[in-house]
Amino acid sequence: MLEIVDLHAKIEDKEILKGLSLKINEGEVHSIMGPNGSGKSTLASILAGKEDYDITDGDILFNGESILEMAPEERAQEGIFLAFQYPIEIPGVTNSYFLREALNSIRKSKGENPLKPVEFVKIAKEKIKNLKMDESLLNRSLNEGFSGGEKKRNEILQMSILDPCMSILDETDSGLDIDALQIVANGVNSHRSPDKSFLVITHYQRLLNYIVPDFVHVLVGGKIVKSGDKSLALELESKGYSWLES
Amino acid sequence: MSEFLNNIKNQFEKFCGENPSNDIVNDFRIKSFENFNNLGLPTTKDEDWRFTNLNEFYKNQYSIPPTKKEFNKNLISNSISDLDAHFIYLYNGKLVENDNIDNVVIKSLSSFLNEADLNTFNRFVDNHSVKNRDFTFELNSAFINDGVFIDVNEKAVIDKPIVLINYFDSSTSFSSYRNLINFNTLSSGQVVEYTFSDRDINFFSNKTTSFFLGDSTNVEHLSIDESSYHSYIFSNLKISQTNDSNFTTDSILIGGKIYRNNVHPVLNGQGSNSNILGLYLSKENQHMDNYMFVEHVEPNCGSRQLYKGLLKDSSKGVFHGRILVHNEAQKTDAKQTNRNLLLSDKAQVDTKPQLEIYADDVKCTHGATTGQIDKEALYYLRARGINLEDAKLIMIRSFTEELLEFINSNFILELHKKIVEEWFLNSDLAKTD
Ligand SMILES: Nc1ncnc2c1ncn2[C@@H]1O[C@H](COP(=O)(O)OP(=O)(O)OP(=O)(O)O)[C@@H](O)[C@H]1O
Ligand SMILES: [Mg+2]
Repeated sequence: MLEIVDLHAKIEDKEILKGLSLKINEGEVHSIMGPNGSGKSTLASILAGKEDYDITDGDILFNGESILEMAPEERAQEGIFLAFQYPIEIPGVTNSYFLREALNSIRKSKGENPLKPVEFVKIAKEKIKNLKMDESLLNRSLNEGFSGGEKKRNEILQMSILDPCMSILDETDSGLDIDALQIVANGVNSHRSPDKSFLVITHYQRLLNYIVPDFVHVLVGGKIVKSGDKSLALELESKGYSWLES
Repeated sequence: MSEFLNNIKNQFEKFCGENPSNDIVNDFRIKSFENFNNLGLPTTKDEDWRFTNLNEFYKNQYSIPPTKKEFNKNLISNSISDLDAHFIYLYNGKLVENDNIDNVVIKSLSSFLNEADLNTFNRFVDNHSVKNRDFTFELNSAFINDGVFIDVNEKAVIDKPIVLINYFDSSTSFSSYRNLINFNTLSSGQVVEYTFSDRDINFFSNKTTSFFLGDSTNVEHLSIDESSYHSYIFSNLKISQTNDSNFTTDSILIGGKIYRNNVHPVLNGQGSNSNILGLYLSKENQHMDNYMFVEHVEPNCGSRQLYKGLLKDSSKGVFHGRILVHNEAQKTDAKQTNRNLLLSDKAQVDTKPQLEIYADDVKCTHGATTGQIDKEALYYLRARGINLEDAKLIMIRSFTEELLEFINSNFILELHKKIVEEWFLNSDLAKTD
């Protein structure tokens, strides 16, 4: 589904990704761990199409085609979703209006009819219930004044409503309490299917007890320095990263 | 400038000859014209005109347009003509037709002036605060004749909003008119002023609308100006509020090459409250100058200014926000906010707050912001599948919609939204950089 080939990326002349390769097939869950500043969020932003970066070498293929020239909205319409590490607050735009616009834009790109507000609200309410979120969050300004945990849950709500095939979760577990972690993990797991893939960025092995990955990769200094199965996460938990840095 | 002044002087003589009135009015005109002469025409050296250069305006020669009887109502945009309202029609500033409204007296300003005794005249015409009279206001007084007088009876609740339509069609014309709108004790209603003109004509409009709010009145006002982009518009909105009156005014500025928007509420009755809202929508080379002067005379009054600018292309905006709190006006609660969203690197705004507070127990705050559409927010919306153009529109709408929170009347709210959406549609917002 997603293939990253020897990706080199710079921001403001600083090289951050230095030859990163990764292949994610349909239905697979990959996890990326790595020290602060190693380039995890950079990778996630580049996948979602943020324009601040210079891709100096390499390619990103999605379903066999390069997406480097695609705008963020086109990628989202193709089914790439990024749950932000730091979701943006947008005062004056209600959560439900935003979600409906987003869903209808994606539907439109597929030639489907837009949902009417009542139809949309029905779907949204069901999903919001699954995530044990307060319904009033739908009528509030997007992420404005949301607690850290509410913002993260809101990202997962967006994922479950927009129904992407490639979800990238950037530290969605950070800042969640123990119950919320489980709720979010359930949200993700209920979204799992043989044709949907995940890239889960996290610092904590704990999340991977709930969302069990097929592969774990370690990103250090802009490159994947080690890959393994879920036991690698446990190993990292006890040994840290220093043995991998050289 | 001297040619401009000479021309105005000639026009004034012609005007006085053609519109003779009683002694009260004649004396007032002459006195006001002297005041105008003494003030002189402003330059950017004048503090109150620092950001607005009128040199290109002074190069024009304007004359009073011939009187015309009725205009083609098909020219009025459907958004206005389809409204369920009482209509009053002005043509180049002159009253030409009006619906009859229960409990409301409507007459042309000239007949009001002819009939008014000294008391009435002073009360409605010559009683404006001397604290804020610029050349446009003095000139408007000197040329006092056209416009409409609206008098709402005591305790009357006007069943439908009053919509005053003003249409201009004469190039190189100078139209000066004054609307006097009086709400007597315990009355309430909504008044919309809608101004438009033929496309592309260059005319000079100098308008004053004066509201008089009696005790315990409740009035909402919306002013929309969609005049030609080549016109020079000077507008004075004066509001005089007595005890426990509530006033909301909302201005949407769309037309004009140079637009000077003077708004001057005077809170001279205890417990009164004023909401002063505005949205200036500018593009190309338009210049929109908003000069607010909120005067708190009596104690326990509140005022809330919220002015927002949306500026495209090389347009310029000015927000000058003065608040004057007299020493008797204890417990004043005055708030001023100006926010601007620049849709181009070439657009520009100058903001200047000016607080003069002579009472000690007051709450007075002000704040101004100017910025572009937040890039991170745009990226976030796009990352969810929303196209760049739609994402921009969502951000722009969220910026302008803050004003709606302060509008009570559903009629005004819907009309405001409609006019703004029409401007969005006509302004190629997707093509901003
Ligand atoms: N706009 C920028 N200008 C300069 N450097 C940047 C910019 N954005 C990111 N970086 C740098 O790129 C490096 C990688 O950042 P990134 O956010 O991808 O790290 P991360 O792996 O997600 O870290 P964390 O675990 O703390 O979230 C950091 O050193 C960061 O300071
Ligand atoms: Mg990160």
